[in-house]
Amino acid sequence: MPTRLNRAVLGKEFPPYAVTVERGKIKEFARAIGDLNPFYLDDRVGAASEWGDIIAPPTFATTFRDETADTNALLRELGTDISRVLHGEQEFELHRPLQPGRTYLCRAKVVDIYEKTGKSGPMAFVVRETIITERDELVGAMRSTTVVRL
Amino acid sequence: MKYAKIYADDVNVGDELPPLAKGPIQQIQLTRYAGASGDFNPIHQDDEFARAAGMGGVFAHGMLSMGFVAQALTDWAGAGRVTKLGVRFAALVRLKDVVTCRGRVVGKSSKDDRHLIELEVWAENQRGEKVVSGRATVALPARG
Repeated sequence: MPTRLNRAVLGKEFPPYAVTVERGKIKEFARAIGDLNPFYLDDRVGAASEWGDIIAPPTFATTFRDETADTNALLRELGTDISRVLHGEQEFELHRPLQPGRTYLCRAKVVDIYEKTGKSGPMAFVVRETIITERDELVGAMRSTTVVRL
Repeated sequence: MKYAKIYADDVNVGDELPPLAKGPIQQIQLTRYAGASGDFNPIHQDDEFARAAGMGGVFAHGMLSMGFVAQALTDWAGAGRVTKLGVRFAALVRLKDVVTCRGRVVGKSSKDDRHLIELEVWAENQRGEKVVSGRATVALPARG
């Protein structure tokens, strides 16, 4: 079956973007999950902890978006739209917890595109990797696999 | 006990995480998660849009279920101990679903002063169908 996704997107690197973590955003995120861990929500518990402040839950980096980018641009470039995509897989690696007031630099890249035919028909998989650094030091990485129903 | 301090010495291959049941999933939680995460895909908010997309109605963000799995891990291992979490979204989570997160220790290793615990993690709905499956690594302190 001929691919209907634009494979030229493979290897595409996005412009690096910086994210400064807001204290309230960490708390809002934890509460939205219903995770009331005091290390995320209580400033006093955070201050007394080994990290000296509150920390973010493990999946918080999912909020790291390039606010200046058009989120649908990649989908358009791939030749699809938001009604055709599902989140297939997600991975986070964290060398240390993310914290409020810190500025992280994110560098994202399309690292893989492949196709498979599943029980619901032909699908394409687009893997995007984002490397997260703070002052040139590696803090973590995330890999997100988007499934496109062809 | 939730949030109890846990040491690498006390963890063995085969140990299971205390199950964490989340939900029933309500639309308001999906709206709240959209705002908190910045994922405003209408497929999680607008039933008509989700039906027109062939998805049979609104379903939860995969990332919300992953957040539940992360909570099961941190309730057990402590906040800030998860160094790696990777999952596959195996099935859709619908409104009214109850998502129960589970995990099992599958490996243990120590390098220098770092004690790593490998786990198989998953979440299932109220019918016992897997909605998330994956692997995690947590770094734990040692006693003494």
